[in-house]
Amino acid sequence: MIPHPRNLGVFPLIAALLAAIVVAFLDPTATSAAPAVPAAASNLPRVTGVSAMPDDAPVPAALLPPGADSPDDGPSPAIFPPQKMTLRFNHRWHTTMGVQCTTCHQNVPNSESVKFSLIPVPTTCDGCHGTDHSNPNAVLAGTATRGQCAFCHLGYAPGDGNHVAPLEMPRPNLNFTHKKHLAQGFKCTQCHGEVGQLELATRDQLPRMAGCFNCHQAPDSAGPHAAKSTCTICHLRETGEGPIHQTAETREASGGRMRTVFATGELKPPQWLHDSQHTPDWIQRHRQVAAADSQFCANCHTEDYCTNCHDGRVRPRSIHPSDYISMHPIEARMATQKCTSCHQEQSFCLTCHMRLGITMSGPTAARESTRFHPPKATWSDAPVTPAHHGFEAERNLNACVACHTERDCVTCHGGAGIGAGFNPHRAGFMATCSTQFRRNPRPCMVCHQPGESNLAECR
Amino acid sequence: MPLRFPLRFATTALVATTFSGVALVARPARAIEPELSSDSAAQLYDVRSPTGQTVLDRTRFTTTLGLNLYDILGEHSVQRNGPELDFRARVRYDADYGVNGGETNPGAYSSFVPGLSDNTGLVDVMYAYLEGRRYLHGILGFKLGRQYMVDSLGWWSFDGAEVKASLPFFVAVEGYTGLEVRGGMPLSTARFEAGGIWRGNRNGFDPSLYPQFQPADVAPAFGAAIETTGATWIHSRLTYRRVYDTGSSNLAEFANANVPATNFSETRVSSDKIGYAVEADFKKWGGVKAGLSYDLYDVKFSQIYAAFDVFATKRLTLSVDYDYFAPTYDADSIWNVFQSEPINDVSVRGSYVKDRASVSAGVHARIYTVDTSETNPTTASPNLTLANNSIAGLYPTNGHPFDEGADLAAKYKWGNGNVSLRGAVDVGDAGDRVGADLSAQHVFETRYVVQGRLGVWNWDDKLRPDRYATNVGYMLGAGYRFAPRCQTMLEFQQDNNRLVGTRLRGLLTLNLAFGR
Repeated sequence: MIPHPRNLGVFPLIAALLAAIVVAFLDPTATSAAPAVPAAASNLPRVTGVSAMPDDAPVPAALLPPGADSPDDGPSPAIFPPQKMTLRFNHRWHTTMGVQCTTCHQNVPNSESVKFSLIPVPTTCDGCHGTDHSNPNAVLAGTATRGQCAFCHLGYAPGDGNHVAPLEMPRPNLNFTHKKHLAQGFKCTQCHGEVGQLELATRDQLPRMAGCFNCHQAPDSAGPHAAKSTCTICHLRETGEGPIHQTAETREASGGRMRTVFATGELKPPQWLHDSQHTPDWIQRHRQVAAADSQFCANCHTEDYCTNCHDGRVRPRSIHPSDYISMHPIEARMATQKCTSCHQEQSFCLTCHMRLGITMSGPTAARESTRFHPPKATWSDAPVTPAHHGFEAERNLNACVACHTERDCVTCHGGAGIGAGFNPHRAGFMATCSTQFRRNPRPCMVCHQPGESNLAECR
Repeated sequence: MPLRFPLRFATTALVATTFSGVALVARPARAIEPELSSDSAAQLYDVRSPTGQTVLDRTRFTTTLGLNLYDILGEHSVQRNGPELDFRARVRYDADYGVNGGETNPGAYSSFVPGLSDNTGLVDVMYAYLEGRRYLHGILGFKLGRQYMVDSLGWWSFDGAEVKASLPFFVAVEGYTGLEVRGGMPLSTARFEAGGIWRGNRNGFDPSLYPQFQPADVAPAFGAAIETTGATWIHSRLTYRRVYDTGSSNLAEFANANVPATNFSETRVSSDKIGYAVEADFKKWGGVKAGLSYDLYDVKFSQIYAAFDVFATKRLTLSVDYDYFAPTYDADSIWNVFQSEPINDVSVRGSYVKDRASVSAGVHARIYTVDTSETNPTTASPNLTLANNSIAGLYPTNGHPFDEGADLAAKYKWGNGNVSLRGAVDVGDAGDRVGADLSAQHVFETRYVVQGRLGVWNWDDKLRPDRYATNVGYMLGAGYRFAPRCQTMLEFQQDNNRLVGTRLRGLLTLNLAFGR
């Protein structure tokens, strides 16, 4: 006999473990994220436009796009793949000079999808910088300092000729139309933050979903110009071909839903969205979200994903570990309501128990010669002690139902002439029995004869 | 008046109509996205009775075949967020070749297990429905066919039609009607019907054979719901559903050759429930989730829950959960009228996520109620009086005994793999268990999959003091991904404990999915 775990001091151990975990995982950036102190002041003029803020300081939260977190991790790499910025550009200087956003980003007002390149065409710069980009194979530098190739093209060295480092700005994995947003009167800063106050506009100035939700709160049935909240308004939809990128979770994704798997990452719900962050305990708490809005789950998951457990035929180890067949009676008695979220007792549990002979109603050939419950003297005989089965049934009736058929109970609890007449009803039962009798008298008539006085009281 | 339908014809007609409808609708489509998928699993293991007297050989083979057709109206419509029409279907074959013939032969009284044939060697349609969305300028949506429904009333499945109107003012109304999917019916399983009644296909049964095994019949159902739509920070759903039992039900539990079966054949309520769930987010600090389910037949709450989440930091979420659960059953079941007390759960949880690592931990207490009072005003059994000589420590003497426990889960992911830990401690009057599993998976060169699991669990069954054991087990698996979304895996599991000695389990899976 093993010692009772309560005597092993389990809870102090657990408390210590939890405390250790919390301490170990507390955000170290809380104390170390202060902007780096610039190196010793140099006499050389500072090169601007190579980072968002001078000396690569963090962008103040007020300048980031609406919806940015604090501390901010930048936009999702799955939606906005990492970029390689090989240009030097100072937005702040340009806006100070009165340059408007659309002066350079000329394609934005007419951009109807992410397929449009919104980076200014090189000839846009020529007017002020004195350069000539009209022939990309023979770009001519200007005479002024600002017209030299190396002034804007990072890494350019004399002798590189017409070769500059390519700019890598992958297309976002989104449906988006700038044209429609601008037509609604949107300003650039409403999605991109205060770019005009920054030097280099980095990927961090791309929109955050939380910011999109400042407007996207309308149902499908709202008018054509309403900002709807349906996921696939913005997010890509999976085709029947399914995800083209293989990851550990690829097989679980499927067509017809929101695309969640990309070469640069996977989409998972953030903490602030229904608190549905798929943390390791998500399996225990997902029902709260599904009960309120199962469509939310269905945006990404097909029925197959859910029924792998909820109607599954292969034991999921993450839920049923170890030799669960031997261990399951304990969990069944402790938390049967969780069992019934995936198993129907009278079909799943009972048929197996019958085959094994651990139920009263099973076939005679399988019936066990030994007793499953505690001795009859305490379990079912009078006098009734706290160890009587009636109290076990009170505290968790489902545990009885998983093994027994109604005849097992009627044998003793059936009314006079049918069973031994031991009343199983709770005190005050007669106050509600008429409702049950009127709507379905069948269970009453299993134990009570039609002419019985008790039954007459319920009619 | 009982409802009588030619079941086989009705079901076949429904499936045929659905498929025909898809074919007809699909014809003019310009860019249908088809998807064929199949998941198969062969399992070998055994199950022993608690005493080891009976050992069942489980030689199981399960395979599913799925057909999905997306964008039946054409990709253009979907891209413009216009009407959208999809078809989804999945059929399953599930057989246990370890079942011996006597167990499914009603003539073999000593070994026959009623209902087993409904669960083994079974072909069932898991779902098959046509789904339309965003019709009538985004207002109308519908589902036609066999479909699941998930809300505060739990999982449910029915054959029928559901229509949903999304109104412009953040509210959607929904109505549905059809037949509940029930075990013992063609191409169906009992998974989603209410519990508490042993029911199935009694065709070919002698009426005196297992009279408590009730015949399955059609179960008409209808329901309605109102829910919020559009707003992302709050969602709530009020739902109502009623299901009817039809056909005959045997009342004579001891019918035999001398005592005739007595049938009850009125159309009657099977379940009648109303539920509500709400979830609200307050982005900077946390959220609230709550719900309930009220059984109108049983006149009592069957479930109440509430969760309060606090975003202590961007990475740390702390939560308090409360759960109330009182069992209710199909209204045909006698257990609805048995005395049973609710179970209350209170738990405190915390989750921390940092880059690739995440950890969750929680503690909980499960509070039962036991009424050991001697007097019950309706008791007709004077011989049942509570004795004073209770067996101390074996069972609670009165009031609110509680179980307690804790759980810990952690995961670390990298590009092509992950390692995770999951452990739990549960201590209670009915038994104890404590243990943890450590598992890992890695994919080499995008196609070679290896995985493993190591676990140690200890349990102690208080009802059967001899049923304690410590199990040490491991699982090793290897697989190959031969195409995107296609892989085969072979897993081998070995468990060792004093109850069963060594238990082996083999699992071979094949998952296939193809698109256009």
